[in-house]
Amino acid sequence: MILNYRTIMELNYLTDGPVSQESISRLIEKMNSMTDCGGHMIFLGQVRADAIDGKRVKAIEYSAYIELVGAEAEKIKKSIFAEYDDVKSVDIIHSTGIVAAGQISLLVLVSAGHRQQAFQACSKTVELIKKNLPVWKKEFYEDESYTWK
Amino acid sequence: MVLEIVGLRLIDPIAMEVQVLFFGVLAEISGTGFKHYNGVKSMGDLMHRIQDDYPEIVHYNYRVSVNSEITDDDRLLKSGDEVALMPPFAGG
Repeated sequence: MILNYRTIMELNYLTDGPVSQESISRLIEKMNSMTDCGGHMIFLGQVRADAIDGKRVKAIEYSAYIELVGAEAEKIKKSIFAEYDDVKSVDIIHSTGIVAAGQISLLVLVSAGHRQQAFQACSKTVELIKKNLPVWKKEFYEDESYTWK
Repeated sequence: MVLEIVGLRLIDPIAMEVQVLFFGVLAEISGTGFKHYNGVKSMGDLMHRIQDDYPEIVHYNYRVSVNSEITDDDRLLKSGDEVALMPPFAGG
């Protein structure tokens, strides 16, 4: 693997801009070597063009406390492995910077021996990310106004 | 400035520098997202200084971390510590 800025960011669970199709393909390719797994669950979080007070969301700008994201993501993975003994691996990629409505801002891939724990652990991982990952968002509307979330 | 007194190195409190990072909406309030504070001895001390600089900060909820560790304690600070002010997380 060539370590460029994007891959280094991804090792820290973050990617600059939307989660790319290449990142998703790379993870799907990784599944081929995981022959002890019977199920992979992928969650893709997408920026929704919500209408708030008559204004539509155009994009979200994500910011993160990069130094803390790694530690918190590791804690999330550790707690998933402790709770679900059939889970073999957990991958997390979250966006920083601008992600337009319709683009992907979060990827979670959970691989398990059997499907039940893949479903459950993926859902739990997403909940823990929302609760514990030090990430913030600024929603931009079509008229260039914004709201911090 | 570092004082050397018969082999004892006493750190001058004025030279004690703490870096504060502001995230989310607090980054906007602080203007730049970070600020250095000199001569602060504890978290309590630091929070008073921050509230003097940015009075509107009292209207926001946030958690604090010291050197990437979330804490609620009024702990002592040392030179080089990194303090972060973090509004509720909103990832996903």
